[in-house]
Amino acid sequence: MLTADFIILSLDSARQTLAALGQVLNVAILVACVAVLAAVVVPRLRPRLRMTLAGLVGALTVGELALLWFHVRLWQLCQVTDPSTGLVTGSFAIPIWIESEKLYVWALLVAVLALVARRHGDEMRPILAVGAVALAAGAVLVSQPFTAPLPDFFAQYSSYLTASRSGDINMAYNAFRSAESSRLYFYNAWYMWVHPPLLFFSYGAFVVSFAATLLMVFRRRSSYEQTAYRWARLGYLPLTLGMVVGMPWAIIAWSGDAWWWSGKVNMSIMMWVLYTAYLHSRIYLRRRGMWKVVAVLAVLSFVALVLTYITTYVVPGAHSVA
Amino acid sequence: MAEKTEHTSETGSSGTGSRSRRAGWDFSLMVATVGLLGALGLQSLVGTLFSWWAYRTVPGWEQTGYAGFIDVMNLIAGPLVVALIVVMGLCVPKRLFSRRTLLVVSAGMLVLGAGVGVVRGSFLTGLGVYLGVSAFIQVAVVVLTIADAGGLEYVTEGRLAKVGSGLLHLGFIVFALTIVALQSSSMMMLAFMTAGVLLTGGSAMSFYARSSSRGPVDER
Repeated sequence: MLTADFIILSLDSARQTLAALGQVLNVAILVACVAVLAAVVVPRLRPRLRMTLAGLVGALTVGELALLWFHVRLWQLCQVTDPSTGLVTGSFAIPIWIESEKLYVWALLVAVLALVARRHGDEMRPILAVGAVALAAGAVLVSQPFTAPLPDFFAQYSSYLTASRSGDINMAYNAFRSAESSRLYFYNAWYMWVHPPLLFFSYGAFVVSFAATLLMVFRRRSSYEQTAYRWARLGYLPLTLGMVVGMPWAIIAWSGDAWWWSGKVNMSIMMWVLYTAYLHSRIYLRRRGMWKVVAVLAVLSFVALVLTYITTYVVPGAHSVA
Repeated sequence: MAEKTEHTSETGSSGTGSRSRRAGWDFSLMVATVGLLGALGLQSLVGTLFSWWAYRTVPGWEQTGYAGFIDVMNLIAGPLVVALIVVMGLCVPKRLFSRRTLLVVSAGMLVLGAGVGVVRGSFLTGLGVYLGVSAFIQVAVVVLTIADAGGLEYVTEGRLAKVGSGLLHLGFIVFALTIVALQSSSMMMLAFMTAGVLLTGGSAMSFYARSSSRGPVDER
């Protein structure tokens, strides 16, 4: 069993290492973002777009590996001990796509899709590249996964360590119950390893679908519409599965909490019904003028996706950090 | 929900009277489905804006007002979900049974659900009965579709796509039934997982068993 003092010292060391790596990685990612934007904006540099995108993907991947190492260290160090028995109940196995790392994962996914897009690749890539740059810059400048990692987790775990060292058995036991509850029902829950990545994949696919929809609207070519549909149906499957598997977890973990019809749940339902309506209405695409209805629904669906993401940080509720 | 027919009455190339009426009926069902989905989406948006406003302006709203908010949202969503399932009930088996039969069966199910709800004094009980009967009928529809019963005729739709459509609609009904009646049951997890598999698997079959090509849009 690790002592609280050893855990605190080791965690500080791990965080300092991650921050030092992060300072280099942040610069590398931002430089790659500027290079990608230059390749999008300057016609003479456009042939270099794939190469610059590969650089962005490379920088983001190295960063993801650094985060993975950090999470392994957390799993090795962050034990929870029952003060009434002195036994270790377990460690925190934290997925690499929560709290300050969400936007980073999404940025990496969109950058990869921008790099590998083949169907209408030359037309789609600049749009997707701008999206990837926006997400990557947001992740580095706002979320700061390297220099301010997992703020909620560290706030709670620091409180637990402080209480466990205080000598007050009641305080230690209350802190243990809180930390153990978070460990079992949130950080280590099977759901956290399934629900978020399914949704992130669907979000990535919907970004590509939206880019193709924009091309369809401005260039009026049915092949763009087919591309938009192909990516939307690919994204709809993990979206549906991810939302459905989230429900039983919410019922169990948030029992007694006000979560049903909360802001994030509402917006997720709105996004799902709009994508359902879009995919369904497309069945009648051959009807005269129907493509306009389909395009409007496709755009509204993507707007709902963006609003759903933002709602997490704006509207209070059980599924929120506002 | 409405399915595609390959009829092209708007081009005037191959329409007979009955096929034209069928295409109009199918399209009407699709419009109804999209309209109901849009209404649910609008409700969700308004609900989010309201809760945002309430959190910011009403101190302790989560403790004092949230339960009433959920009741109002459920009251609005319940009829919309029932209407969606009625449309599905009219749409999915429309190649198996006559329109008149489907309308009579749908009306009968609504009356049964409403009757049980009134007798037991519980909207949720009535809704649960309605969803249970819907699930039972949908299972029968899927089995009949797999068995190729009723002289199914699809110009472009394969049977696989039609089975997928039936399964995803069954998944939607099971999902709604789980929320309404099985949240406290030991079967809850199994029911949600079943709904997830049916919805996702049915959607995948429905999407990938038919061509993604829908012909040209209105190009300039």
